[in-house]
Amino acid sequence: MKTIDEAKLIDIVGEKNIKTDPSDLYIYGSDSSVHHAMPWAIVKPETTEQVQGIMKYANKNKIPVIARGGGSGMCGQTVPVKGGIMLDMKGMNKILEINLEDVYCRVESGVVDDDLNLALKQYGVFYPPTPASSRIATIGGEIANNASGVRSVKYGATRDAVLGMKVVLPNGDLVSLGAHTRVEASGYQLHKLMIGSEGTLGIVVEATLSFVPIPEFRCMGVANFDTLKDAGEAIGSIMASGANPSMLELVDDVAIKAVNKTMDLGLKEVAAALIFEADGMVKEAVDYEIDKMTKVCEKHNGNDIYSSYDPKERAKIFLGRKKLFPALSKYDENLASTALADDMAVPYSKMAEMAGKIHEIADKNNIVMTAYGHCGSGCMHTKILMDTKRKDQWASAKKAITQVYEYVRSVNGTTSAEHGIGLSKAESFKIEKSDSLNLLATIKKAIDPNNILNPGKLAQAPEDWVTATNLRYSVNN
Amino acid sequence: MKNKTKEFKNLEKWQGTLANCIRCGYCFEHCPMFHHTGWESDAPRAKIITAFGLLSGEIEPSESAANKMFSCFYCKRCEAACSSGVPLTEIFTDAKKDLLEMGLEGPGTTSITQLSCARCLICLSACPHEARSYVEGKGITTDPAKCQACGICLEVCPAGAAKIENDFGTNKEVLIEKANDFLDTHESSKAIVFACNWSYYPELQASVLPDSETKDNDYEILVNMCGGRLEPHLLMAPFLHNAWGVLVACCPDDECQHNGNLRAKKIVENLHNTFKQIDVDPERIQLVQIPAGDKTLFQAEIDTFVDKLNSMGPIR
Repeated sequence: MKTIDEAKLIDIVGEKNIKTDPSDLYIYGSDSSVHHAMPWAIVKPETTEQVQGIMKYANKNKIPVIARGGGSGMCGQTVPVKGGIMLDMKGMNKILEINLEDVYCRVESGVVDDDLNLALKQYGVFYPPTPASSRIATIGGEIANNASGVRSVKYGATRDAVLGMKVVLPNGDLVSLGAHTRVEASGYQLHKLMIGSEGTLGIVVEATLSFVPIPEFRCMGVANFDTLKDAGEAIGSIMASGANPSMLELVDDVAIKAVNKTMDLGLKEVAAALIFEADGMVKEAVDYEIDKMTKVCEKHNGNDIYSSYDPKERAKIFLGRKKLFPALSKYDENLASTALADDMAVPYSKMAEMAGKIHEIADKNNIVMTAYGHCGSGCMHTKILMDTKRKDQWASAKKAITQVYEYVRSVNGTTSAEHGIGLSKAESFKIEKSDSLNLLATIKKAIDPNNILNPGKLAQAPEDWVTATNLRYSVNN
Repeated sequence: MKNKTKEFKNLEKWQGTLANCIRCGYCFEHCPMFHHTGWESDAPRAKIITAFGLLSGEIEPSESAANKMFSCFYCKRCEAACSSGVPLTEIFTDAKKDLLEMGLEGPGTTSITQLSCARCLICLSACPHEARSYVEGKGITTDPAKCQACGICLEVCPAGAAKIENDFGTNKEVLIEKANDFLDTHESSKAIVFACNWSYYPELQASVLPDSETKDNDYEILVNMCGGRLEPHLLMAPFLHNAWGVLVACCPDDECQHNGNLRAKKIVENLHNTFKQIDVDPERIQLVQIPAGDKTLFQAEIDTFVDKLNSMGPIR
């Protein structure tokens, strides 16, 4: 372990904003992924100047720096594989400006997504990307991963909502990227380069975000299907029909069972269900969209289709969907839900085949997998449910993941839809991006010549995710 | 660092559950300790990770690790929010039992008894968790595995000897300071709302609004953990800084885990009598009972109270 000059860090951020006790370091070595590694120090900056001071110190001494928001990442993005200083950005938590006239807000990167939306709500507007983890996810973390959520099908991902940002570069310089305007056509769109870069290019300290009006009307529907294939084909048909859903979610039988067990939502335990929503300022327009989607579902053998404008009913289903990930641990008490092969995107026409493929691969490898996701935006999620104590289950999981991503790439899909690459999806990412890996390395080197920002991630991550770090589970030999 | 497992006899049974916790972190927002410090290592997920680390032998049982496990107000919001069904506080208690066997006891949020104790033993009968006992030669001791840091012993102790060292911003002095700061810096300020941790659900989890959004606030909500911890001194202090009124929120009858609501009711009733004697409208201090998590009712009660204060005007 490299020596950290603790006194120097205290000089920069003050004693109350640093932790180096092993019990704290151990906690910050985890996120929501399967990985674990120890940082050397946790530092919680409160100002941009403090971030600059830390970066200058780290760059001079070639110490890795990993920025961390809520620690809700599923692929090990903030797990410090090379050790170093972990920057807990939750200390920079100020909403700086809500500018209704120019339709943007400015926030520090440690502001929590739901907190921002709460502040915006009183003005009848909202910031739409909102991933399922929005209660703890910070804007900085969402930028680093280009996060999106259930409403990305209509409102887009983080990349579509960020107008500009202030970023501290590895040498400590502060740069303003992007603009405060809706459009900008000058030069390289460097703020877009930062989005999805997983903390490997700079530390975002401030972001300028757009927002949109909260629709007057929202209607949510549920359609049940006896086969996963029918549900998958309905997704493609809905999107091809020109319908404009504000949410189009697939949940399979495993996911339905888990959510019902946890929240007693009373969802019918069928092979698959689609949850769809339309929103707008005019009720007739919303009715039109719901009617259109209902008819497509009927055409694909959807049954017991119902829809509701009732906010309580909608909130119940919405919450059920948001809590699906933790709920999967209730599916079977002997199986843990692991964030592996957790997200991908495929063309709409392959959605049905993809969902079927996930179950086929799971059966073949003697593990349980679930298929769900924001399928309206092409995003498919899965989790692997397995006995984490058994070493052979990890070998099976590894095989299954390789097979899942082989299929994804074979149908022109992509390795990550919204959860990022981190460590656990690096194998497929590197194969998919093989012809641009040199370009990625050139960009990384130009901005971060000492390779101090979140080293060992994305293109630098080892192919074998199982041995990339300690697993955060106890595995029997 | 390995092979410590056998020393954790109580924690061992949770091995499977600790794997089932998917570490999503959705319990953060519910934890008053995380709210106060902003450090992830004070949040419920951190304690689960610590428990796993202790059990697997990946971290040493140390004073700092123990201090984390012994710091909990047992509000159980994290449990209510956990979709993985992890009984967090039961795991914390079992970890505490094992750590005690190893001679590690925090202090965390366990209430202690200082030398000024007069040994009146009032705290023994007042403790709803039977955590306090009198030991000949030692005086009053607290069982750290049983103490749930409700703080009722602090309220009942006539000598001021009971104390929670790591109070996470819930001690009387800190609350008075926060109340005074709000009243002194907001021209529009009228009321302080003291809410128990169960009756109030914080809206903004960990972010700060711009000054432009808060400068016209007419009330401030301060969480004092259990209603049983409210003291007359705390409730009266805001009036010295020109508050128009004080609202107290605690759990409904039969819903308080510590019977602290009964104490709060009694204290407010007594203050009503005091107010009458000094010719101040007793309605300026009110108590409302809010079921856990009922944000709508809580907000409605605050709005009604502030409307009432507006009709009364300032005291002087």
